[in-house]
Amino acid sequence: MGKQLRTELMTINMGPQHPSTHGVIRFIIKTDGEIVHECEPDVGYLHRSIEKIGEQMTWQGFVPFTDRVDYLAAMNANWAFCLGVEQMIGTEVPRRAEFLRVMVGELNRISSHLIAIGATAMDLGGFTPFIQLLREREYINDLLELACGARLTYNYMCIGGVHYDVPQNWNEKVAEFLTHFELAMEQMNRLISYNRIFINRMAKVGTVTREDAIGYNLVGPNLRGSGVQFDLRRNHPYSVYPELEFDVPYGQGREGEVGDSYDRYYVRLEEIRESIKIIRQCIKMIPEGDVKAKVKNSIKPPVGVFHSKTETPRGETGYLIESDGKTSAYRIKIRTGSFTAMSIIPKIAPGMFIADLIAVIGSLDVVAPELDR
Amino acid sequence: MNMIPQRSTPKAYFRNMINGITSMFEGMSITLASCFFRAQTVQFPDVDVSSHEALIEDYKGNLRGIPDNYRGILDVDMATCTACLICMRACPIDCIVITNVKCDKETFLGASGKKAVKTRAATRFDIDMGKCMFCGLCSIPCPTGAIFHTKEFDATPDSLEGLIHRYVTPEEAEAAEKRAAEIAEEDKIAKAAKAAAKEKEEAEKAAKESAEAPKEADEPKTSEES
Amino acid sequence: MIIETMTSLGVPELLAKFVFALLVAFLSINFIAVYAGVISVVERRVAAKMQSRVGPNRVGPQGSLQWLADGIKLILKEDLIPDGADRFLFKLAPFLMAAGVTATFAVLPWGPSNAIAADLNVGVLYLISVTALVVIATLMAAWASNNKWSLLGGMRAAAMIVSYEIPVAMGLLPAIMIAGSLQMSTLADAQGWAPWDWIVFNNPFAMLGFLLFLTGSVAESNRTPFDLTEAESELVAGYATEYSGFRFAVFTLAEFANTWVVGAVSAAIFFGAGHVPPMLAALPGAAVVVFVAKTFFVVLILMWFRWTLPRFRIDQMMDFSWKYMLPLALVAFFGQAIYFLGTWDQPGIQIVVSHVMVLAFLGVFFLFINRVAINVKHQGVVVNSPQTEIAYLEKIGKIKPAVVEDAAESEEEK
Repeated sequence: MGKQLRTELMTINMGPQHPSTHGVIRFIIKTDGEIVHECEPDVGYLHRSIEKIGEQMTWQGFVPFTDRVDYLAAMNANWAFCLGVEQMIGTEVPRRAEFLRVMVGELNRISSHLIAIGATAMDLGGFTPFIQLLREREYINDLLELACGARLTYNYMCIGGVHYDVPQNWNEKVAEFLTHFELAMEQMNRLISYNRIFINRMAKVGTVTREDAIGYNLVGPNLRGSGVQFDLRRNHPYSVYPELEFDVPYGQGREGEVGDSYDRYYVRLEEIRESIKIIRQCIKMIPEGDVKAKVKNSIKPPVGVFHSKTETPRGETGYLIESDGKTSAYRIKIRTGSFTAMSIIPKIAPGMFIADLIAVIGSLDVVAPELDR
Repeated sequence: MNMIPQRSTPKAYFRNMINGITSMFEGMSITLASCFFRAQTVQFPDVDVSSHEALIEDYKGNLRGIPDNYRGILDVDMATCTACLICMRACPIDCIVITNVKCDKETFLGASGKKAVKTRAATRFDIDMGKCMFCGLCSIPCPTGAIFHTKEFDATPDSLEGLIHRYVTPEEAEAAEKRAAEIAEEDKIAKAAKAAAKEKEEAEKAAKESAEAPKEADEPKTSEES
Repeated sequence: MIIETMTSLGVPELLAKFVFALLVAFLSINFIAVYAGVISVVERRVAAKMQSRVGPNRVGPQGSLQWLADGIKLILKEDLIPDGADRFLFKLAPFLMAAGVTATFAVLPWGPSNAIAADLNVGVLYLISVTALVVIATLMAAWASNNKWSLLGGMRAAAMIVSYEIPVAMGLLPAIMIAGSLQMSTLADAQGWAPWDWIVFNNPFAMLGFLLFLTGSVAESNRTPFDLTEAESELVAGYATEYSGFRFAVFTLAEFANTWVVGAVSAAIFFGAGHVPPMLAALPGAAVVVFVAKTFFVVLILMWFRWTLPRFRIDQMMDFSWKYMLPLALVAFFGQAIYFLGTWDQPGIQIVVSHVMVLAFLGVFFLFINRVAINVKHQGVVVNSPQTEIAYLEKIGKIKPAVVEDAAESEEEK
């Protein structure tokens, strides 16, 4: 080796207040100049003890708190909990409500993925796509606001269906939006996703192998990005998903390696396309009827432990609910995708640039409130 | 760490270059195209967002104004409130506090068109808007539609105290309490009268005294019902 | 001219030169301050336009006085010097940076080819070397801040500016060969008013040289896609992380002034400087207007780059410089040399080539306009239109207006 300068690693705190950590996450990085040697995520800055709150709330009263678990996809977060309680008390959800749930859920999935894609683009310096995607998200928020009267924390789903029926022109509005959005999204892809600089930033960066993805319990687009074709909507279907036709996109190594950041990013793009497909089918299939099953005001589910899981934009969200037969849960444990996504970072971080780390965080789509609950 | 430079083939080299130029070309055409469209920003205090119709008068973008079912600041219509405490129990964060007393029976049509019977009056109806999270769980089960979300969202008070919306004034509360005391008194009298009537019936007294009893028995019926 | 008048009035020549230099410096600095302010507002408005936003529109008509408000705000802010900072270097860095940028204004033309403060015979060389002063200032600021993010930004800046000097200088070589001089006025005079007389359309290699110069200049002026030194999502604010108040304002000033330098140099060397068509030559100030218009055009292109492209990574940026731009710069240089050798005594071929270049450029331009038109069409698909409002749907009979439904709706509302 010959003589070498004695150098030491530099410890840098990235976060909790750092522009690219999407909220308050802290990374303790040991770097050699630009190259990361070690990266330790430090979570818990946004802990609001939602699980503990769940032990004091009535069953219906906890639903608005699930909005706050993942505020970018509040509909999907509602859904998982409501599904759990419905299974416990054995309520049949009306068919129209199921379709409405799928529609708002998929709309919310699109809006969440828009943020994921836009934030990744912004972290890599492309500011215009982020704002333009936010504009599209505002249109989705308008649609969801028409349905339930809120733009961010919807509290639309309730135990036994959905709270409100949608206005009569909702289907037309959604259909019109989808026609607009499909072209707009393709345009955004041409602006950022197919840009050579962007691809070079994302390709072959932060590769998670299939084995690692399963071993580290990645879920959702992160798992599918590594080439595992697993989607709860397909593999453990709930609601009316068995009746709907859609593909499960998975990473195929479009730009080099299977499971790199670009694959994870691209899976989200394709999921948006699939969601559009699903909503189009729903518009055709949605029946008339009730939107809410009769559920007693004070629910007293049987004693036992129940687990419900749904496919949210950030992967499988599971609610482990332990009931002691009272009007509130004995214990609630929420399992979210962001948390496991963070655990893979120390594994893939060594050897990459600081700039790559940002791309990886963006492509893993970590959302701080979901991470810490 | 392991920073072995990757050797690229001439084909990849030129492909990279040409792809870079064309994608930049395309991206710049898109950003230029965006310049031909109106800003979507709703410049809030300048435009009226209270409804879609009001919004599109000044605003030329594609976003919508506040829909009719918007969940804004809570409001209570005390005329139709039956002080049944359902909203208070439904609220997950206990930001509604109601106390009630008995009152004169009243039957009316609620906002939902259902018949409602009012037997109790609120002496205190406070909503702490500082705590409220606008989930709508209170307005959904309300039997008369007395508690509802307005389209108001811009209600910054001068003080922390101003966040607590009180829907029953102290005078009203006092009046209600007074009335409740009177009702209780009347109740007592009625009960006594009833008991007396019963005794009298048992004793089979003269019809002259029993003629007064049903007149006063009108009031106690309400209390029994509740 | 001013010097001559002064010496004829009996002022010693050295003093006259000194006064003239002071005057130029004063004017340049003031010009930079105003230009940077105005262009910062213009840039924000342009960016907003590209992003369906409004941008600053409160201070003054259409936000045109926003830069004054920003300036006042920055000056009134507390001047923070972090603990453990090298105070002298920390204070010096912003002004060194501004000095580096301002010094370039000495050789920038202002329209007519003789309107140059100091028409050095090594003008281009001076320009290239003086802009490199910026890297010292950046490193100084980065080191003095006692902040790791700043330091990373400074290291990046050093690596970047040093490697991009070469393609920038070599990109200018074809133009220098065509004009046969490093002097700005000679370079400007080597061109005519018509596009086919401009150096950029002289031959393909000069065009390539211009593109390399433009790309390299973007990198040197630290703008996206090469804004790694202050990459806000990676390094917070890079070398300027710890700066606040007026010192930060000076950094921003230097950065925006850099865009003018790039624009003016491109306009002077490649876009025919301030040459006006013969029929307009009689108009006073026409040369200045033409020159400034050309400069602003280049500045707008820089903005356009910035708001379209994502950022490079440090190693990719070095790759881009050494693996792509340097070979291309060599191609441009040798190509120009060979072209020059082949055609120096055949003006006919030169004229044909330059006209063909203009036509080719127009072709690319129309292709581009076509893409823009397609994108406008795609983006113009309506959303949330009145055609989907309940009232309209009822009118065309898609949903039936019923009294019962109205009641049901009000029920939901409550």
